[in-house]
Amino acid sequence: MRKITFAITTILIFVPLFMLAYKVQVLNISLIPQMVEDVWNFHMSMRPKGEQRTFSYPIPKSAPGIKLTDDKIKSRDMEVFIDESSDSRIATWTAKEPFKRKLTFSGRIDLKPLVYKNIPKDFSDSYPKGLDIFLKVPDLLPEDVAAISLLENAILEGTEDKTSLVRKIYYYVEEEIQRNTAIKTIHETLNTGKGSPLIKAKLFNIMVRRKGIPSRIVVQVRMPNVQQQLAKKKSRFTFANEVFLSNRWVPIDTNRGYFAERPDSVLVIHHNYDEVEKLISRRNASYTIQIERAKINKYNKTEFKKTILRSDSFFSKFSLYRLPLPLQAMFTTILLIPLGTLVLSLARNIIGIPTFGIFTPILLTLFFKETSFGFGLVFFMIVVLIGIGERYVLDKFYLLAVPRLSIILTLVILLMITYTVTANDVSFISQNHLAFFPIVIVTTNIERLSIMITEEGIINTLKTLLGTLMIAILGFSLYTIPELEMFMFSNPELLFTVMGLLILIGKYKGYRLSEFIRFRDLVRQKKKLEAK
Amino acid sequence: MIFSELHELGILGINNRVGRYILRYNNRKFYPLVDNKVLTAERALAWGIAMPDNYLVIENYGSLKNLHFKLAQYDSFVIKPANGSQGNGIIVIKEIIKEEVNGEPHLMFRRSNDKIMNIEELKHHISGILSGLYSLAGQSDIAIIQSKIDKHPIFDDYSFGGIPDIRVIVFEGFPVMSMVRLPTKSSDGRANLHQGAIGAGLDMKNGWVNNAVIRNQVVDVHPDTGHKIKGLKLPFWPEILELASQCFDMVGLGYIGVDIVLTPDRGPIILELNARPGLAIQIANLSGLVPRLEKIRNEAPRNLMAKDRAAFSMKNF
Repeated sequence: MRKITFAITTILIFVPLFMLAYKVQVLNISLIPQMVEDVWNFHMSMRPKGEQRTFSYPIPKSAPGIKLTDDKIKSRDMEVFIDESSDSRIATWTAKEPFKRKLTFSGRIDLKPLVYKNIPKDFSDSYPKGLDIFLKVPDLLPEDVAAISLLENAILEGTEDKTSLVRKIYYYVEEEIQRNTAIKTIHETLNTGKGSPLIKAKLFNIMVRRKGIPSRIVVQVRMPNVQQQLAKKKSRFTFANEVFLSNRWVPIDTNRGYFAERPDSVLVIHHNYDEVEKLISRRNASYTIQIERAKINKYNKTEFKKTILRSDSFFSKFSLYRLPLPLQAMFTTILLIPLGTLVLSLARNIIGIPTFGIFTPILLTLFFKETSFGFGLVFFMIVVLIGIGERYVLDKFYLLAVPRLSIILTLVILLMITYTVTANDVSFISQNHLAFFPIVIVTTNIERLSIMITEEGIINTLKTLLGTLMIAILGFSLYTIPELEMFMFSNPELLFTVMGLLILIGKYKGYRLSEFIRFRDLVRQKKKLEAK
Repeated sequence: MIFSELHELGILGINNRVGRYILRYNNRKFYPLVDNKVLTAERALAWGIAMPDNYLVIENYGSLKNLHFKLAQYDSFVIKPANGSQGNGIIVIKEIIKEEVNGEPHLMFRRSNDKIMNIEELKHHISGILSGLYSLAGQSDIAIIQSKIDKHPIFDDYSFGGIPDIRVIVFEGFPVMSMVRLPTKSSDGRANLHQGAIGAGLDMKNGWVNNAVIRNQVVDVHPDTGHKIKGLKLPFWPEILELASQCFDMVGLGYIGVDIVLTPDRGPIILELNARPGLAIQIANLSGLVPRLEKIRNEAPRNLMAKDRAAFSMKNF
């Protein structure tokens, strides 16, 4: 290779790669937007009971591990006041007439697991005044108090620090008290060793507070699993605890077995059950909660755009993220085409796969992408049949080539509208009005196919047809990797690298793989001759 | 490496042909001289190089109108696209059947494969040519009607149907390798290797057939006539090579394929030239092009006359 070609190729290939490295290392921009994970659409509706004119209900709040966005309260002509004074929120609706309709709260929730590792031993004996309410032991029957004291003697004997005390109480309630939703008082639980989730949380709460440790019951909702989502199962409130250890509230769940840990399947509605007990009781209101996985916005492009613009670099000025969304969508598709041509060049010049027309495979790839693979394949086959059939039928009319080609084209368009009008479901076809455009262009190559059948025989034609399809499928497989689309869209400078690689392929003067097969017999016969 | 055997035999691959020879030695501006057979014929006439006589050159649909009057004076002819390749779009009419229907002359055409065409079918085919159906890049084209060439008697036992043609690869004016393409039944009487014609490699020293293949398989006898192909020796061998060599001076392209036919009356004449000659000639000859091309590149004397270049090739290959 000549020096100048070498230099240009090297620059084309490596400069964009250095730019990528610069983005990652210096500007701290990731190469593709982060996936938006664990996002849930949360919808809660409440129906107040009786003739209420003011109505309060707890609603979720952003906190460590809980990110709440797009939250909306349906208010209409009502006044809504949201009390955010504590680490929880309570919304209060006020209206002139008693509430007739449902009140709703909705939002998008991003949950992350919360894990506290290695909580140190805690010997504190006094707490800030605000925590007093979390130390108050509720009134109990004297016999229950006696039973709890006995328990304490048995399980907590000799324990000094508060962290260990809490851990022992947790083990006891989590392991020894069986879950039984029918048992709803502390008294019964102490006698039977069974209890509802709320009672277990209450018993844990009492035992911790009796040891002089601030504790509270937390109202929460568990995210539905896949089956529950499919069954559209409504979610209910569940209960867990939080204990104040080493100067922070530590989550504990005696029902699901989490100590100092809150999984990303749990959303806290309110941190203090005592405060909202009356509000969420059935006497005050009925509620339904619906939670679904949010499927939209697979990549968090908005955040990524902000990051890029904030970097205030060269890239922020030329980012495709500045474009309006429809243009962005178009470029996401288009930017993979050069990668497709890379595949095409490799296939044709290095492997030696024959194709119809040079860019037919790429057009087919686009067609598959804009509709769907199965549909695209079947539709293409029909177009091929039309192309071949046309030659036999229209041959009798002695038409000139251009009008005849135009007739095939028109036939294909007729086929499209017939299908689109009669099919039950056309949702897979991109709403983009260019969805069918690639196949229309492909049509113009169909005539070559029928000529090839007459000139070179059916076998060669089939080989070429298969080659075309194979490269189209290879190209299409690029589109099945969403990361690749995002990668090219976020870093379009890579197009220069693609050009560098294309120069390398263009400079290749060695044999094609197909020539190994083509000249195989020559080699064999030459050897036979030499052996003689 | 799986390609090491191809390397050792000096087989020329497509990428190498394009990158090292065609792109380097063939100046794009001379391409029309070989791609457009009308231009080739004009050039050949000026250079005194023998080609088939052009009866008619049809450039537009209007000239199709009274085609039958123009054709009535001939006994046979060939229709071909000026910008065609690989023999696509060529129709050979070996007999014109002249009748009179209701006092009007009525022509029917017998093709070389004995199929009969009427004038409408003929015009349809020509308009297909004009609209670019057979042209290299699909652009609109010109149809040529020229004299039909007769088969040289030497090929009587070696050919089925059509006329065999001789392909000579010419590099920088030196004939490099050659073969004769013998039509068979399965090639529909056409000298097209794709369709199953025989490719018979020719010894550059004397024009003897040294090997023959059909598609990649070595054959000893012609499948239709049963004649042993290796017995064939082409007459006019030095003239054939000199004619091929002259084409380099005529069109100025460094790497071409020259297609030559032997006529019973005029000897060897040029049928057409090709700026992107195929690689199958290596299979027909059971040897690679690269060593010969490199020998010319490195050792051949410059500024020789066509006759001397042909002599150099006969001596060296």
